Amino acid sequence: MSSVKAGLKIEVKRGTFTFRVKRYDPKTGDYRWSEYKVEVTNRQTVLDALLKIKSTQDATLAVRYSCRMGICGSCAMVINGVPRLACETKPFELGTDVITVEPLSNLKPIKDLVVDMDEFFEKHKSVKPWLIRRDEGEQFEKLDSYYVQTEEQLINYLEFAYCIKCGACYSACPMVFLNKNYLGPQALAAAYRWSADNRDEGYVLRLKVIDSDNGVWSCHYSGTCSKVCPKGVDPALAINLLKKSLLTGKPPAR
Amino acid sequence: MGMVAKSTLMKWHYITGLILVVVLGIHLAFRWPSYEASIQWSGPHGVYEQLLNIGYMAAIFILLYAATYHAMNGLRTLLLELHQGRYWNTAVDVVIIVLGIFIVIVGTVALVGALQVI
Amino acid sequence: MTEKLATKRNPPKWSLWLRGLDEWLLIFQKVSGAILAIYLIGHTLVISTALGFGHPSQLTWERVIGLIEGPRVVGVAHVGTIIEYLIALLVAIHGANGIRLILMQYFGLGLPKPERHTYPMIPSPRKSPQLVYKYLVIAVVIVFIILASYVAFMG
Repeated sequence: MSSVKAGLKIEVKRGTFTFRVKRYDPKTGDYRWSEYKVEVTNRQTVLDALLKIKSTQDATLAVRYSCRMGICGSCAMVINGVPRLACETKPFELGTDVITVEPLSNLKPIKDLVVDMDEFFEKHKSVKPWLIRRDEGEQFEKLDSYYVQTEEQLINYLEFAYCIKCGACYSACPMVFLNKNYLGPQALAAAYRWSADNRDEGYVLRLKVIDSDNGVWSCHYSGTCSKVCPKGVDPALAINLLKKSLLTGKPPAR
Repeated sequence: MGMVAKSTLMKWHYITGLILVVVLGIHLAFRWPSYEASIQWSGPHGVYEQLLNIGYMAAIFILLYAATYHAMNGLRTLLLELHQGRYWNTAVDVVIIVLGIFIVIVGTVALVGALQVI
Repeated sequence: MTEKLATKRNPPKWSLWLRGLDEWLLIFQKVSGAILAIYLIGHTLVISTALGFGHPSQLTWERVIGLIEGPRVVGVAHVGTIIEYLIALLVAIHGANGIRLILMQYFGLGLPKPERHTYPMIPSPRKSPQLVYKYLVIAVVIVFIILASYVAFMG
């Protein structure tokens, strides 16, 4: 099968994969595994396959998703042992016939592949991830001027601004597993993203949260967060830059 | 230890880490060329010779204090990662401080006494 | 039966952590640090006792160290020698990896600057400075093992 568009030949392959899905049952509080055989093309993703299973084989399978194109960050799950976005992972590219799909680790399950993101978002909120100005009157009432930012100043934080809060890094982090109160890579990357923004003046306010036992100092740099991030945010770099700022007393470069 | 910023504790953790590389390196280098000979009382590389070496003894004093700080701060970090709670946190701080002071006193008494006699 | 929210988190994927050197180094740094801290307490007590708590003599030293060293196992090495040898290996790995973290986080050595995304995106732990660091850690540890083996078993 092939389709022709602007002289470009797109080869469509078909294959049948076995999906082993780890499911949490809120009635019994236990996990169980379900197996489904489903035919997908090399153009389809794990999310497509899960939705096909849901519509043709098992309507009780619970999946959380929204945009299907790696923007919303709803469909992060552990696929073949690694946290990834189901909508950006293609069964054909995984290289295995049996694909295991599990809910995100380090987060509480709700049902099947759906996890409770509350503590994740609470920790995100605790670092004050918004633009803070000393003069709130100027920020919210005098709306006649812009905050100027150059290209170089943008680059200081742009990398970390691509975060979609999918929770893949939080799920992969060994320190989040060890220390239940650790803020985690996402919240700390967000703290750096705002503190390195030249328009922001809230670094001092965030210090109380990030310079603590559960802040940056719970990170011991395994870098797993950066390796699994589907958007290339590199939270490990942000945490190391925050540590450098705290150790040397110099605020983030901005 | 709520009154000290964690970054201050960690800054000293890193500084003592750097110091330890030097003084612990010296401590281990004095086992050369034979571990067995280095723990004999007498002999060319023995303990008596080590006690007479002022430079080495200075390194041992620094090692005692730097290692105690580094170990106690590291232990505290680890214990607070394993569990947290109001009583637990206080208990950890108390145990860490008492243990650290105990090691420092025992080690200082032994080393100063050894220097005075020899 | 009613449905209620889980109180326990989903279990972690250990396979994710046991296949990368960074993760191994993290686990090793934690475990070796804990062992070394406990060893420090024991070592200070033993050596202070052997030095007579300020009243050193050859007799006390030889009695205490003889007790701690235990019977001979291989060549010149006693049980105590082997324990010290293993502790020294922990020191070497903990120290080599610790220096890597200090140089990077305190002095910013090998820490890349934030940059505009280019595909494919390479995370900082996989960039060349980190690879150099990690190979140096392994090299330092191997050299140390060779020297320590000579001192403990041949010397």
